[in-house]
Amino acid sequence: MRTKRVLIPLFKDEVAPRFDLAAEALLAEVSPEGGIAVQDSLLLQPSADGLCDLVLRKDVDVVICGGIEEKYYHYLRWKRVEVLDNVAARAQAALERYAKGSLKAGDILFAMEEAHAR
Amino acid sequence: MPLVPPATLASLDLPGLLDGLPLGVAVLDPEGRVVTVNTALERLTGFTREEARGVPCRHVVRSGLSHRRNQEHGTADTEIVNRHRRRIPVRISAIPVRDTLGRELYRLDVVEDLSALKELERRVEEPGGIGRLVGKSPAMEHILRLIPAMAQSGAPVVVIGETGAGKDAVSEAIHKLSPRTREPFVRVNCGPMQPEVLEAELFGRLQPSGEVAPGAFQRAGAGTVYLSDVGELPEALQVRLARFLDEGVVFPAGSQTPERCEAKVIASSPSGPEALVRSGQMRQDLAYRLGALRLDLPPLRERPEDIEFLLAHFLDIFAAKFRKKVRGFTPKARRLLLAHDYPGNVRELRNIVEFAVMVCHKPSIPPACLPGHLLEQLAAANKGGGL
Repeated sequence: MRTKRVLIPLFKDEVAPRFDLAAEALLAEVSPEGGIAVQDSLLLQPSADGLCDLVLRKDVDVVICGGIEEKYYHYLRWKRVEVLDNVAARAQAALERYAKGSLKAGDILFAMEEAHAR
Repeated sequence: MPLVPPATLASLDLPGLLDGLPLGVAVLDPEGRVVTVNTALERLTGFTREEARGVPCRHVVRSGLSHRRNQEHGTADTEIVNRHRRRIPVRISAIPVRDTLGRELYRLDVVEDLSALKELERRVEEPGGIGRLVGKSPAMEHILRLIPAMAQSGAPVVVIGETGAGKDAVSEAIHKLSPRTREPFVRVNCGPMQPEVLEAELFGRLQPSGEVAPGAFQRAGAGTVYLSDVGELPEALQVRLARFLDEGVVFPAGSQTPERCEAKVIASSPSGPEALVRSGQMRQDLAYRLGALRLDLPPLRERPEDIEFLLAHFLDIFAAKFRKKVRGFTPKARRLLLAHDYPGNVRELRNIVEFAVMVCHKPSIPPACLPGHLLEQLAAANKGGGL
């Protein structure tokens, strides 16, 4: 397995609830051993088209996002980008879980984080 | 009116009350985390109340407002993207729930699904048409006026028109505007097919196991069965179709047991029922039954005033689809397009515009970007004339 380039659309420090409305994105590289190197934090014009272009331009392998419309989801899948959508979590928590190989589409990590905090 | 005693209030089944509401409701704590959601909101968002509990509301009701730093009280029209990746127009009303001292304990986000309303608005505002049907000529305006009336009737409809004139689009529009719109629209092409296969395709087939493999009528239920090229239907099946139109029952292939079916039948053909009867392609009894309501779609050459309108209409559609900044045709290309008689009707015109927009890299489409066969035909037709 090779190093994967991961993009997470952001809202503050969370995975953005909406792919099309994210004004920032996090670009990271995850090595096969689970190492995470944050590459870049990008400022965006909120636009699903613009974000799809960015994903292709930056050779992203995996997008971790919240809500994404069907057409953009299928477009990215068609471009062979893995999309883990419906993820509700802080970006760091989602990234760490992905590095461990256990993040799935639909994962909701907030309630779990609260339980750990208590 | 006496105040409700606090003990009575505390004993109320509030979750049950919320579940009874037709609107989606999320109960949020002061930090904006979900305390609970009702059944309507579970359906709308795709998140169950167990999944949503404790999660910031912006990750459950993923609205256009969710990326604002501060959520405000009041009402706003926006859209959500639900768990099934569908964008749904909604109206969200944020209502604070305060105690008697005015402290905000909870907030209710009331979410109203506006899909039906927006769909209605879209239909009303659609430029000169219904669904995929557009046209500004008197002939098309007459048809666009007839379609809603025909949609309200349960009687069979026959749609007559040349290839590419829009028979399929008219049939879909009748179904969409009818009270059957939420039921299936099942399309069967009666063109060349083995009669036994077509029989099973239409009426179903009794399996050796005793079950009936459903045909178009069973699949349609109370919806619409659309039979294109109905003149190609073998005579034996015409008899059975006429019987369905009379009695409302179908017999699956291999079965003697009638099955009741409430589907509406829409049939289409390039020729009218009387011409089909004359040529021996249709039984007279079926022609009488099918022809209760009839729509004749004029070919494009008989409504030249629609050509320019359709050129602009499809240009907009394909320019948006291919993300091209193409705004029109050069005067010469426009003259060529208006001079063509479109034997393939709207479908041909649509294909020509699609091709032209696809290959053109200029703001106006020149003749060079039109399909070659069209230019050759026009050159031959106008030899010596000079367009």
